Amino acid sequence: MWLGSLYRRALALFRSESIHQEIDEEIRFHIEMRTEENVRRGMTPEEARRDAERRFGRITSVKERGYEVRGGRMLETLWQDLRYGIRTLRKQPGFSAVVVLTLAIGIGANSTIFSFANGVLLRPLPYSEPERLVLLDETAPLRGVQSMGVSFPNFLDWRAQNKVFEDVAAYSPGTYTLVGGGEPEQARGARVSGGLFEILGVAPVLGRTISAEEDGPGSETVVILGHGLWQRRFGSEPGVVGSTISINNRPHTVIGVMPPGFKFPEVADLWLPLALDTQRWTRNDHGLGAVARLKPGVSLEQAGSEMAALARRIEEQNPVTNEGLSVSVTDLRAGLVSDYRQALLILLGVVGFVLLIACVNVANLLLARASSRQKEISIRVALGAGRWRVFRQLVTESLVLSAAGGALGLVIAIWGLQLLLAAVPVELPFWMKFDLDGRVLGFTAAVSLLTGLVFGAAPALKASKVDLNETLKEGGRSGAAAGAGPKRLRSLMVVGEVALSLVLLVGAGLMMRSFIRLQQVDVGLDPKNVLTMAVPLPGAKYREPERQSAFFAELVERVKNLPGVRAVGAVSNLPLDGSRWGRSLTVEGRPVLSVGEAPVINHCVVTPGYFRAMNIPVLAGREIAESDAREAPKVTLIDERLAREYWPGESPLGKRIRFGPPESNEPWHTVVGVVGEVRHERPEAATRMSVYVPYRQITVRQMTLAVRAEGDPSGLTAAVRNQVRELDPDQPVTGVRTMEEVISRAIWQPRLHAILFAVFAAVALALASVGIYGVMSYTVTQRTHEIGVRVAMGATPRDIVRLVVGQGLTLTLIGIALGAASALALTRVMSSLLFEVSAADPATFAANMALLTVMSLVACYIPARRATRVDPLVALRYE
Amino acid sequence: MVRQKADLLQGTLDMLILKALSTGPMHGYGVGQRITQLAEDLLTVEEGSLYPALYRLEERGWIKSEWGKSENNRRARFYKLTAAGRKRLGVEEENWRLLVLAVGKVMQTT
Repeated sequence: MWLGSLYRRALALFRSESIHQEIDEEIRFHIEMRTEENVRRGMTPEEARRDAERRFGRITSVKERGYEVRGGRMLETLWQDLRYGIRTLRKQPGFSAVVVLTLAIGIGANSTIFSFANGVLLRPLPYSEPERLVLLDETAPLRGVQSMGVSFPNFLDWRAQNKVFEDVAAYSPGTYTLVGGGEPEQARGARVSGGLFEILGVAPVLGRTISAEEDGPGSETVVILGHGLWQRRFGSEPGVVGSTISINNRPHTVIGVMPPGFKFPEVADLWLPLALDTQRWTRNDHGLGAVARLKPGVSLEQAGSEMAALARRIEEQNPVTNEGLSVSVTDLRAGLVSDYRQALLILLGVVGFVLLIACVNVANLLLARASSRQKEISIRVALGAGRWRVFRQLVTESLVLSAAGGALGLVIAIWGLQLLLAAVPVELPFWMKFDLDGRVLGFTAAVSLLTGLVFGAAPALKASKVDLNETLKEGGRSGAAAGAGPKRLRSLMVVGEVALSLVLLVGAGLMMRSFIRLQQVDVGLDPKNVLTMAVPLPGAKYREPERQSAFFAELVERVKNLPGVRAVGAVSNLPLDGSRWGRSLTVEGRPVLSVGEAPVINHCVVTPGYFRAMNIPVLAGREIAESDAREAPKVTLIDERLAREYWPGESPLGKRIRFGPPESNEPWHTVVGVVGEVRHERPEAATRMSVYVPYRQITVRQMTLAVRAEGDPSGLTAAVRNQVRELDPDQPVTGVRTMEEVISRAIWQPRLHAILFAVFAAVALALASVGIYGVMSYTVTQRTHEIGVRVAMGATPRDIVRLVVGQGLTLTLIGIALGAASALALTRVMSSLLFEVSAADPATFAANMALLTVMSLVACYIPARRATRVDPLVALRYE
Repeated sequence: MVRQKADLLQGTLDMLILKALSTGPMHGYGVGQRITQLAEDLLTVEEGSLYPALYRLEERGWIKSEWGKSENNRRARFYKLTAAGRKRLGVEEENWRLLVLAVGKVMQTT
């Protein structure tokens, strides 16, 4: 009801002009009607008009009355309240500053996290009607594989046979080398099937998209540039469309430039035709991405079941290649943000708690202030101000405070968001934009308003219920009339603050413990003093496998001889940097499984020095040697887990395995050694078994160097780069990082969560301590008289301390009990973010309960000490 | 035409307005005319009291107003009885009946 009137007032603010106009118009209408009537009755026009006006009498007072009713007076009252509120608050700058600052911290924390969440979860994706876009992937439910990539023939069947999508497109992200017109440059891009741009609903700003012919096999000679690349490398020259540029050492004709801000997939900056043929790309070759646009009115569920049915049909027609395979259909945004979503929602809850604590603190301050203002309020009531009016006045003051807090909070949020983004070490997807848009501003305004009502309503209600007789009769002895109500409210506040803080502290404790565990995880290699960098050879220049292996052999040899290098090796997919190469495993003498059932192993190609460079222990057999050449017998190393899985209790040495599609005729590799298990995908868990094959027997174009230095490895960067340049001046290196950085980047999310939780919990703890201290100090002041009497009756300082601390401690313990119960219930939602720590970890709970108890003891002890210094004479005379 | 000498009884004008509006929405001028017409010219409502009364009733939520077109196609503010107003009219009518009865009884003696 009050909100309704506030709304009407706000409306009146904008309408005050038109209210007057409307009333004028209504009166004019009336006078004209009367005049016409009079004329009909025979008066002259002048007479008629005069009579009409005379009958109206005091027009101004009618207008006034109308103005009041239609909301005008509300406006004036609001102005009055506002002016009065601001004036009173300015008279107490200390009080106002503390309140505004407290609120700013609470609101700022909320706006910071909200603007992050806004960028990730709420802002529309930069495609046309993004809600109808879905990602398609193949799955192998029997093996629990959620994402195995799409094979080209399956994609073609989907596109031709489905009835739920407007169109389907496939793509394959990659890195491409641009040569000529400047330094050789690695650009990220994608091969895409024709129709991708149409599905996304984004047209090029220059030129055209890929035609159906250009998407045909073997005709990959055109390229579309991203806006950023076009600006940076080609100086925004429109003439570049139609010209020829060299990509991976092959000429490509530029046919179009995409608009700024367009990327797909997330990092691509140039696009080539997919141009695959089904001869070379069989149903066994998975790895493409696929995106589709739902037909209007088709739901995600419908599409999912239709595609599952289609997958079953394809499986019946191709039992060998497609056995056990199905399709997943995911909403595009859900597919993109799955990593962030839950953590963000939890963090929003966390900052909500911080704000609640801030509100409790401010409410407590207001309550204390209201009781010292009781006399003023009583006089206003005595002079005829309605309680409702007093309540409104006090709440208006709260809203002034919360508005100021909100404004300052916004400043904190701008700053906090920058800090937050600076703490993200990986490149965030391009579509995540974190500016202060209308949603963030609206959220902040709404939170501020709500905050003002939450912390303002209870104290205002208490204060406006003054008992005139009591207050004025007692000569305004400060606060004595506050009565039992506010005391109970204050106790409730202490209990609430303690409970809320405990939940946050426990949450933070769990996050930090989990992160520390994660940091201490043995990933199976020794990252200290290791420098890594990727060397991607362009395919056109290094077409023959021999040239590829020769390049890496020469490079490793050169780097090994650099001063300060202890060991060096290279690997096709560096552990924990996000690169993967999964292949199916077939073991000789075991049943040949279908592609849907065969285990997928992590397939690494390595040079002989790799295990020494990474300090990966060789547990049995031998390492890979340079003698494991192309024509030599094919060999492989396997990791401990694979050995245990297939040959428990016997030696795997001499057994034979092979990789790739089970039906294929890939050669067998003999197991010659067993190495320690390395966590390739995630530090917290080993997910795939690994094999390591010699780089001369299975060659790859891109390998990552791992250089173990005598000391700090970053000093070697320039020297290693030099060796690459001497070998091939056109050859770029990418991703120069120490292995420690690689691991730390792999766990940036848990680290960021731990930091954020810790920061917010610390803020909460500080606010709660101040809050408890404030309540206890106030209580002591209130009880000065009583304490004086007690001292006069012979109470010792010890008794007084016990009295005050005892009261505070009781409340704290109740709060801790409540908080522990809530924490037990609430921390369960974060268990998926925790690593090797139970959401109900007793140590974390105990430590934080102890911390809060100690904190509260201190917060109570200081006012208690002050209470012991109460001079009974002064206290009683004060009466 | 008999001019109403004293003020209408407190609240009586409000009741008359509610009654006038009970047949449908009307602009302010129309309300005045309607009351005069129903009272067969025994009563006229002064504009100086009519509009404050309309505003008062609107404030209490018994009537609401919006812009519309008058019979001669001019923009006019139309008033309309709300559900609360209709209920209120019932109460007023009942009170009025009792008052008339009571006053009548008093005036009949001697």
